[in-house]
Amino acid sequence: MPAVNIIPIPDCHLTWVFGLLEFLEDRGGREDGYKIARDLQFKFGDLLKVMKAAEILGLVSTPAGDVVLEPLGRQWLASDMNHRKLILREQLKKHPLFSYLMRLLRAQEDRSLAKEVVLEHLAMLLPSEPPQRLFQTLVNWGRYAELFGYNKDEDRFYLDQE
Amino acid sequence: MPLLELRNVSKSFALPRGTLAVLEDISFSVEEGEFVAIVGPSGCGKSTLLRLINGIVSLSSGQVLYRGKQVDGINLETALVFQSFALLPWLSVKANVEMGLEARGISAEEREKRASIYIDKVGLDGFEEAYPRELSGGMKQRVGFARALAVEPQVLLMDEPFSALDALTAITLREELLDIWQAPDMSVKTIIMVTHIIEEAIELADRIIVLGSRPGRVVADLPVDLPRPRDRRSDAFNAWTDKVFSLIEERG
Repeated sequence: MPAVNIIPIPDCHLTWVFGLLEFLEDRGGREDGYKIARDLQFKFGDLLKVMKAAEILGLVSTPAGDVVLEPLGRQWLASDMNHRKLILREQLKKHPLFSYLMRLLRAQEDRSLAKEVVLEHLAMLLPSEPPQRLFQTLVNWGRYAELFGYNKDEDRFYLDQE
Repeated sequence: MPLLELRNVSKSFALPRGTLAVLEDISFSVEEGEFVAIVGPSGCGKSTLLRLINGIVSLSSGQVLYRGKQVDGINLETALVFQSFALLPWLSVKANVEMGLEARGISAEEREKRASIYIDKVGLDGFEEAYPRELSGGMKQRVGFARALAVEPQVLLMDEPFSALDALTAITLREELLDIWQAPDMSVKTIIMVTHIIEEAIELADRIIVLGSRPGRVVADLPVDLPRPRDRRSDAFNAWTDKVFSLIEERG
């Protein structure tokens, strides 16, 4: 399975991304990143992660330090909970790391893998990312989008639905 | 008839040397469908007031009436959401949501059904088997919401529900709470929220009750006439913030 162009996902709560979209809507759809961090008393480093995550998901763009709501971000804001999850699910399926893991899981008989095996793949694909943290973020995003599940008692990472 | 009525409610605690009056002569009523915020400085007894309404804490004097009848003990038509989330770390999300139902004698089948409905409503689908330590603060409080909603209360009592959360998480959860409250299929229509964040009260509530401190008493009861959705940057919003601040500073 060739791994092409795998970009990591930032260690960021999805709830932060949603908060950023709501905040941008209140600001008319565009705001300076530095001002957002200042007004929310948010660490700028953390806000950069949120901006990056929202951009990876196609919800905002970040020209010249500004954060701008993209049409998909506006669509997300106008949607109900289940439709929001659907938007995220479709966006995540397009992300190389998620699609890699989906292919990997589909190739397993029971569509699941031990956490240790997933960590090995992550370490191989993204050697400069701490695999434990990346795993936790993948699990949280995957759970929210109902793409991946993780059972801590059995330590199994699995495909939820497609 | 109001849904809930407090008549001359006082609460004091016995201390080794005398008594400490926490709340004094509180009277107000809440109509069905209202979103009421209770604000006041720390030490004004606002969290105690919420617990008196729920019945976890007993009154020293006065009456709490629910649909015109005095309530003895815990009012099972109310459910609490806590600042600290109050989740059991050894239970999964689903088991945490079902916990309050078991205590109310609801059958296993019905518990399962309700947990699934309210986990879906708060956006926690996919997290059923997660444990609290795997969750961010925002996800933990969504479990807190689902657990309270699953008992299908008539009144949701919220004690500083967003105060333990960072700003971006709080923005998201406030919006989600408003969506839940305004959804036509949601059984709970009446919310009483305690907060020390004045902007939060103005953004969310139909009415703000301002408490003064030591002992806590009602210093103002204000209907918020701003149209929804409320714009925190509007002049009208700022005027409201100033008004409530000055009431707390003068009397608190």
